[in-house]
Amino acid sequence: MVHISDGILSLPVLAAGWAITIALIAVTLWWSKRKGSIIEEIPRLSVMTSAFFVASLLHIAIGPTSVHLILSGLVGIILGILAYPAIFIGLILQAFLFGHGGVTVLGVNTVNLGVPALVAYGIFKAGNKLIPSESITSKAVLGALAGGIAVALAVALTAGSLCTLGKEYTWAIKALILYHIPIIVIEAVIVGSVVAFLVRVKPELIGSLGGDRK
Amino acid sequence: MIEYPEIDRYASLDSPMHRFDPRAKIIAFIFLIFSVVLIPDLKIAFIGLFFAIFLLILSRIPIFFVLSYMKWVAMFVLSFFIILAFTFPGEELAKFYFLSVTAEGLYTGSLITIRAFSAIILIFPMIGTMRFDTTIKALDRLKVPNSLVQILMFTYRYIFVFVDEFQRIWTAMESRGFKLRTTLYALRTIGNAMGMLFVRSYERAERVYQAMRSRGYTGNPKTLVEFEIRMKDYLLAVSIIGFAISLHVVSFVGVV
Repeated sequence: MVHISDGILSLPVLAAGWAITIALIAVTLWWSKRKGSIIEEIPRLSVMTSAFFVASLLHIAIGPTSVHLILSGLVGIILGILAYPAIFIGLILQAFLFGHGGVTVLGVNTVNLGVPALVAYGIFKAGNKLIPSESITSKAVLGALAGGIAVALAVALTAGSLCTLGKEYTWAIKALILYHIPIIVIEAVIVGSVVAFLVRVKPELIGSLGGDRK
Repeated sequence: MIEYPEIDRYASLDSPMHRFDPRAKIIAFIFLIFSVVLIPDLKIAFIGLFFAIFLLILSRIPIFFVLSYMKWVAMFVLSFFIILAFTFPGEELAKFYFLSVTAEGLYTGSLITIRAFSAIILIFPMIGTMRFDTTIKALDRLKVPNSLVQILMFTYRYIFVFVDEFQRIWTAMESRGFKLRTTLYALRTIGNAMGMLFVRSYERAERVYQAMRSRGYTGNPKTLVEFEIRMKDYLLAVSIIGFAISLHVVSFVGVV
């Protein structure tokens, strides 16, 4: 539900969203090209992106409504800075194939979900340096923390983009924030357990755990 | 549980929208979508909505198919509409106990709803009238950066594989008695299932990459589809863009 639909935001906000997104995609792709060939990354990145896409289609019931997972924290933890283009691609496909979000708001929505993914990556990487412990629990807690903060930040950024509309929208924004509080908790638990599972089963999959995937 | 993304289910029909050159179609429709979402006036927003419906009818895509896709946007926009109607400051129209509906709230809520619905309806004459791989090739011809086009293409392809894969994992879990509830245990189990999906996809990614390299993949895919743009494509594109511009001219001048 964190995707804003078409027809709500104003032109300057839409334009700013596109500008930031295009700049960040260019920077992240350039950065990963610098480290090695992007050709090598494309098939892997795509396969992982579609796995995330499918995982985010899962609906979990909360009371009368159902929510779908956002998973941007997990994308950041696993894909590192390439999470940003991955989320952009994921959102294009969600807009075109399922009607989540919209075409004109792609830029803004990618900022709202992609920046938290980069932040989650930073938190997870910094946390691993600070706590050198290899225990599964500490990694899981760190993953849960990064995953939860990513959703909270995504909600904050979404609320921020809606705030540009004016004071009249205060109640709508409050409702949006309220609606997402349970999702923050659910997502933290799920991201924590995915990280715990991956640390046990396939630690090299987590891009930020020990150098880049290679 | 999870549905296939089948936006191009009706791509094999025949209509003026299906015959429209993919590149010209994408440019014209993106322009029109940007135009309808920025209309400042409710009456003109309705004109935009009618034009969107007209193009949809022209494309011969069944309405029920479109409605099933609109449920997410409808949920978002209608909840916005209801909250705005009750909380937007302005002239009171009706009062229910402590809540009151304002004229300004209804106006803004309807404007947002109409614009959002027009935008999503326009997706269908644009994307629903050609196979999705044609859409991706058209984006490539429109000079979208090649690495993004390739990621888009591969991601799209593997979605179908992973829908099946996740379905298999899910069936296995349910056959062992798992029920989707919002409990800590269930969430952790879902986490493990997702972890399994990522492990399988990671291993598949390695195999896919090696298979592609061994077939000579160098990062520059060659496609055999050639597009041919004709006079009528230019005319159609120009008239759609012209309509998009006139919506804003009319609302600026304030004729309606």
